[in-house]
Amino acid sequence: MGATAAVMRGTPAHELERAATPLLSIEDLWVAIPRYKLESQQVLRRIDLEMAPGEVLGLVGESGSGKTMLARSIMRLIPASGWIERGRIRFGGQDLAALNEEELRKLRGRDIAMIISNPRGELDPLQTVGQQIGNILRYHMRMDRTAIRARVLDLLRQVSIPDPERRLNAYPHELSGGMAQRVVMAIALACSPKFIISDDATSGLDVTVQAQVLELMRKLVVERGTSLLFITRDIGITAHFCDRVAVIYAGEIVELAARDEFFENPQHPYTLLLLAAFSHNERLRRYWLGEDETRKEMGPSPTGCPFANRCVRVQPRCRSEHPSLRELASRHFVRCHFPVER
Amino acid sequence: MPILSVSDLVQQFPIAGSKAVVRAVNGVSFELEQGETLALVGESGSGKTTIGRCVLGLIRPTAGAIVYRGHEMGGRRSVRSAELRGKLQLVFQEPAESLNPRLRLFELIDEPLRALQVNRAERERRVRAAARRGGLAESLLELYPAEISMGLQQRVGIARAMISEPEIVVLDEPTSALDPTARAEIIDLLIQIQRDLGTAYVFISHDLSAVRHISHRVAVLYLGMIVEQGPSATLFAQPSHPYSVGLLSSVLLPNPKLKRETQIRLEGEIPSPIDLPKACYLAGRCPLVQARCRERMPAVESVEPGHMVRCYRHREVARQEQAVDYFARFQEEAERILGAGMPPREKRPAIQ
Amino acid sequence: MALLAYIGRRLLFVGPQLVGILLVSFFLVKLIPGDPAVLMLGPFATPDALARLRTELGLDGTLIEQFLIYLWNVLQGDLGTSWQTTLPVTIDLAQRFPATLELVTLGLLLALLIGIPLGVAGAFFKRGLLRKAADYYGLLAGALPDFWLALVLIFVFYTMLGIAPAPLGRIDFAILPPEPVTGALLIDSLIAGNWAAFWNAAGHLVLPVVTLGLINAGPILKMTQSTMERMLEADFSRYAEMCGLPRHVVLRKALRNSLPSIVTIVSVLYGFLIGGAVLVEIVFSWGGAGQYAVQGVLNADLNPVLGFVLYSAVLSLVIYLIVDLIYFAIDPRTR
Repeated sequence: MGATAAVMRGTPAHELERAATPLLSIEDLWVAIPRYKLESQQVLRRIDLEMAPGEVLGLVGESGSGKTMLARSIMRLIPASGWIERGRIRFGGQDLAALNEEELRKLRGRDIAMIISNPRGELDPLQTVGQQIGNILRYHMRMDRTAIRARVLDLLRQVSIPDPERRLNAYPHELSGGMAQRVVMAIALACSPKFIISDDATSGLDVTVQAQVLELMRKLVVERGTSLLFITRDIGITAHFCDRVAVIYAGEIVELAARDEFFENPQHPYTLLLLAAFSHNERLRRYWLGEDETRKEMGPSPTGCPFANRCVRVQPRCRSEHPSLRELASRHFVRCHFPVER
Repeated sequence: MPILSVSDLVQQFPIAGSKAVVRAVNGVSFELEQGETLALVGESGSGKTTIGRCVLGLIRPTAGAIVYRGHEMGGRRSVRSAELRGKLQLVFQEPAESLNPRLRLFELIDEPLRALQVNRAERERRVRAAARRGGLAESLLELYPAEISMGLQQRVGIARAMISEPEIVVLDEPTSALDPTARAEIIDLLIQIQRDLGTAYVFISHDLSAVRHISHRVAVLYLGMIVEQGPSATLFAQPSHPYSVGLLSSVLLPNPKLKRETQIRLEGEIPSPIDLPKACYLAGRCPLVQARCRERMPAVESVEPGHMVRCYRHREVARQEQAVDYFARFQEEAERILGAGMPPREKRPAIQ
Repeated sequence: MALLAYIGRRLLFVGPQLVGILLVSFFLVKLIPGDPAVLMLGPFATPDALARLRTELGLDGTLIEQFLIYLWNVLQGDLGTSWQTTLPVTIDLAQRFPATLELVTLGLLLALLIGIPLGVAGAFFKRGLLRKAADYYGLLAGALPDFWLALVLIFVFYTMLGIAPAPLGRIDFAILPPEPVTGALLIDSLIAGNWAAFWNAAGHLVLPVVTLGLINAGPILKMTQSTMERMLEADFSRYAEMCGLPRHVVLRKALRNSLPSIVTIVSVLYGFLIGGAVLVEIVFSWGGAGQYAVQGVLNADLNPVLGFVLYSAVLSLVIYLIVDLIYFAIDPRTR
């Protein structure tokens, strides 16, 4: 497992020298949550992932695929009383399991920041924008009041919020969706983190606002050399925004490749299903999306390949043997017994 | 002969405790032919949802006329009147919220027929037929909405809307709450139904990919006004209004090589519909703005028969933009890439 | 300025609201069986005497006439006389209402001091001793009758331990009460500098305040706990955790967001306890307004009842106005 992980480092598209130590390294991660009256349910399995400094990795999955679980697990704030069953997460070489709660708290918001969807819901309705950005600076950087104010204004300018002096005193409910998302980005950038996780950050935004937010994110990330894990339901965004793309299904990574290779040569049937959703060709859609209604409603398969129940190319071997993540082309990993070869 | 014709529709909502009004719709005109799909696209504040409600007669317009087959839809003559019952239907955005959680799927699809006072045996037959048409297995009819996925819930919403065999269905963001795969299936279903029943759709959405697939004509809305209107294929290939360009260039298709690159970038945010700019609404954000844009609202001009635009500089826009239908190109590429994985004998190109 | 206009508008409505309240109360009280003339003169009174008394008491007109006369008197500041105490109702209430207010206010303060911290702790610790303690306390406080607790406390601290004063009113008979300024003994003694009276009154206040405090901490605890739980589960709390803000900051945010609900329940309790503390008042012979009103009802003595209704209605309306102003202060979304 460790060897596979070591090989999986991708090359950032902007031709930087690969750092000797990856910024984030996830090895064989398994996360479970308790289930009422049943044993626990695993929501993440066998996750191996590495990120170099300055790279943008897109993670695509549908609802329930585990992508949010992964984001929260990195932060070690697993919802629904979940826990890490197995595996390791290393950040900057440091094993996160070895840190106590206080050290983890220092990491959050300062070295690893998160940008989420529904920004207006995430901001405290009773505090102003200035106060909320200031909170981060106060508790992580121990700055004094004048320094905080200056830095807050600077951050608001960096995220292209017009008229920042006035916005300082605005409350979240007075902001539009796009504006609130920028405030959340300002909070994320406040301590100049090395790593940002963006969980579905642009869903729900108008499409032109989304374009602006993505452009801003890209600019900030490239300028500062921050790594970005961009989690989304929309595979289209990753085509124009990410250096590498990964697909997650039922808690497992099923495909991972550099962007151009990924879109030119997708090999996992689930990836093809996701791409087929954009096709207008009925025959193609029917083939990859499947036609049998009841099959489509079935959950992941408990034995063998989790995609077996929905896969249009399923064979008996798929149900009995669980496929491992194999490198099929240069830095292109697929978890499938019968990937689509070209 | 269009079955629906909307002329100079204006809709304003007063704000409690103030003299200001929300100017949701500001002079919209369009027509709908039998069996065609007209898409209304726009972002927040575009007024598209309000227009949908007006078309159905659910709200009384502040001004303007909506005529469906000779009937004035103006709140007085609403969908509840006897002749119009069942001829116009609505599909909502949030399937979970629009289905009564206490009713089984069978009863949900049955409801419109009860309002039409159809007898029981006939209702039973039609509910099962509608369910089949909607791709719902009969065994599902006994379940409650909470027990099925959102994609299936939306199918129920559609089956329910179609059961009275309406002539016009207004679909208000029917796929926005769904995952991309479920979205694709719902669009397929709608196209199939249109083929079978000849229903006309008013398809309200911000999902331009779906719009390109399903609609024959599209109207681009900005702050309650149609800025450009025309056949989908031509408009998507060659937009003539800066806002249309801005919208189309924001679409991110899953192919890194295909994206509409443009010099036209819209800065800033959408203004509030309470406080509309004078003259052209886009003037504050438009890179091509000139003095006349701030003085008077551009009149509707014709690019080609059937293709209208409201912009003084629409010819420059059309010239500046590459006349490339990225959506069509994407489809070709997608066929190549996706087709590679299909079994050889199915590789014959489909006749579309 | 908008604020003053708002307050002005609210106060404008107080008049008609009070008239409406009085109207309904008047007719409801008149429905109570019992003829005051008979009760006053006894069962052997002659019909003539009764008729004369009724005319004197103004009981011979139609109900509407009686109400209008009453209303006219109220507008002039005359709330009538209680035939039990033979004093004007205004004089009676000037003594009794502050007694209840003093008791209830202190009782609620204590309830807040107990209920809020326990509620916060209950929400924060999902398991453990503190959580169980909070759960059981909430349960008990809701189940126990307040007068029973009062009697138990008297028994333990007065009868057995002898450290509490006798439950015979607000102040020892022997101590000279201070000049009535507000009617609240503690405040008035402080104003007069009368320390003997202050400590004595405080001593008498301990047990009844503790009773009210312990019982009413229950609903406050429950409301605080459930609202805090909801706030701690809310998106903004999660987000605050993700930003690495210290635990006390997260708790403070959640508590601030819970304040509107807590303020609401305190205001409801306050309005309720003005009359609802009557049983505790009786046990401690407090001479409060609730007692006064109850005796009025039992004896068909109309004026004290209506007087009490009027005073508590005014108090409630003032409380609700203050509460709304507090909402404005706390929650920017209401502005």
